[in-house]
Amino acid sequence: MAALWKTCQQCLRYRFSNVSIYTSITAVNVISKRNFKAHWVAPTLRELKRRKVIEDDLNGGPKIFHRSTFLEWNYDAEIFAFSNRLGEKFNDLSLRAALTHKSYIERETARLSDIGVESNLQFQDNEALSQKGGELLSKFINGYLRAVFTQVPEELIRAMHDFLTSNPTLETVARHIGLGDLMLCADFPCKTETYVKSFKAIVAALAESSGEERARIFVQDLVVTQLYGQDVNELWNPVDPVGNLTAILKREGKAEPEFRLIRQAGSNSILGVYYVGLYSDKNFISEGAGESLEVAKEMAAREALKKLFRTEDSMRALPFGRQLKNIQSKIAQLENQPNIPLSEWISEKVMSAVH
Amino acid sequence: MSNSHMFLPSGFIRTPLQNGLGRYIPQLQRITLKFCKNHGGSRGVRDFIESDLMEFAKTNPGTVVYLKPRRHRSPCMVAEYLNGEREYLSCHEFSRDEVHKWLSYMCTRSGIPVMRFRKYQHTDYPTVQGVWNPFTHQAPEINIAEFPHEVLSRPLDHGPTATEQLIEIFKKTQIEDPANKPPN
Repeated sequence: MAALWKTCQQCLRYRFSNVSIYTSITAVNVISKRNFKAHWVAPTLRELKRRKVIEDDLNGGPKIFHRSTFLEWNYDAEIFAFSNRLGEKFNDLSLRAALTHKSYIERETARLSDIGVESNLQFQDNEALSQKGGELLSKFINGYLRAVFTQVPEELIRAMHDFLTSNPTLETVARHIGLGDLMLCADFPCKTETYVKSFKAIVAALAESSGEERARIFVQDLVVTQLYGQDVNELWNPVDPVGNLTAILKREGKAEPEFRLIRQAGSNSILGVYYVGLYSDKNFISEGAGESLEVAKEMAAREALKKLFRTEDSMRALPFGRQLKNIQSKIAQLENQPNIPLSEWISEKVMSAVH
Repeated sequence: MSNSHMFLPSGFIRTPLQNGLGRYIPQLQRITLKFCKNHGGSRGVRDFIESDLMEFAKTNPGTVVYLKPRRHRSPCMVAEYLNGEREYLSCHEFSRDEVHKWLSYMCTRSGIPVMRFRKYQHTDYPTVQGVWNPFTHQAPEINIAEFPHEVLSRPLDHGPTATEQLIEIFKKTQIEDPANKPPN
C-alpha cells in the first residue's frame, strides 16, 4: 500500500513540476528515485512486525498515546482552531470549562499534593455546563421535530428525540468535531459518557458565549442532521396499529376500518404474499403486504397511520441548514409545546405543515 | 474499468457526519510540516514556510499548523483529520509550488481513505414511489378473473388483429355507401 502510494505520488508529481530531475545519461526507468533496499531488510521488518503483533496481543491491543503527549501540541492553538472550524465564537473561559472534567481536576490535585505542591488550581469543571447543555439540547431538538413533523403524535417525537440524544449518536458527533484530543479527562481512551458530557457542555458554552439562537443553529446543524438517512418508522411503531387506527377514525366520525384481501400469490408455498387493503366507508385508505393475512392486516393499518402522520416513505425531505431560516421562529415557539399524543390524535387538531 | 487487477479499495462516495448538510466543517484538523533547516531537500518547504504559510494559516483558521524542524531528515507533511485518519506525504525535493498544491490537496480531503468511487452519487432514499413488484400497476380485476380471460389474457401490446381491421374497414365502407349513392 505504501509502495503504491509512493508510486502514485511520484506519478502525480510529474504533472506539477516541469523540471526534469534526471540527467540524460541514466534514464532507464520512467519513475526515478527507486529505493534499492538490501536483501535482509524485508525479512527483518517482517520478523519485527510479527513480534510486535504478538506483544500487542499479549498487552491487549497496540499502545495508544494521547495527542497531547506529542512534541507538536499547542492546546491554545487547538482551541482556537476548534472554534474556527465550527464557525462559532466562544468565550475562552466557558470553552475551557466545558472541556475540563471533574476527573481531571481530581487527578491533578492528587498528583500535585503527592509531590507536595499546594494546589489552588482555578479549574472549573463542566458539570453545571453539561447539565444546562443537556436541557438546551433536548429543547432545541424537540423544537425542530415538532416544527417539521407537525402531524406526528408525541410518542414518535419522543422516540426521535431519544435517538438523537442517545449516547452513541452524541459520541459520534463529539468525536467528529475533534473533541477527543481537546478534552481534559482522566480516562484514556475516553469513555462515551465523557464525550457526551463534553458535547453538552459545549452547547451550553456556546449559548453563553454567542446566544441561544446560535446554539440552536449549532444543534440543528450537527445533531439533528444525524436524522438524515434514518427511517423514522423504524424508531417507533405503535403497538396496536389496528386498534389505534380504529380509535382515530371513530374520533373523526368516520366509518370503522374494513380489511379486504386485494392480492394474493403463492399461498401454498413459503413465499406466499398477501396484500390487504384498508377501506373506510368503501374509500381506499392504504394497503399492506405480508407473509400471512394477520401480518398484512397490521401492515395495512401501519401504512394508514403513516399516511395520517405524513411519515410515509414518500414524505417530504427533511429540511436542514439554510432551509430552516424561515421557520426558526416557529421552531423556537414549538419548543415548549408538545404534539398531540396518540390517544387523542385527530386530523383537525394538528397544524398544517410549516415547511 | 475492471476492478479485478486493482488493489485500491472501492466504495460509494460518503462524507463524515453528514458534513455539508447542516454546515460545512473543514475536515483537516492539523497539519505538521517536518523539515530540515539546512539540507537542500527541504528547500522548497523552507521557501513555502517563509512566503506562503502565513496566508495558508489565515485562510484555514480551523486547521492547526505545526512546524517541526528536524535535522538530517528529509521533509514530510503529516495531515490529521477529524475522523482520526492520518495522511503522510514525503516532501523531499519538492518545489515551493508543489508543497502549496499538496497542502491544499490535503485541505480539501476528508479523512476517508483514497478509494475508487463506484458512483459519484449516493442517496439514502433510492425510491420515492416504491420499488416495483409484480403487483404494481396490475388491474384489480385479476383477483376475481377466471383465466383464460378475454381481455386480461391478451398481450398488452397486441393491437387489433387483421380480421378486426378488415371488419373495421368494412363498417366504414358501409356507412359511406348511402352518402355516395347518386340521388334517384
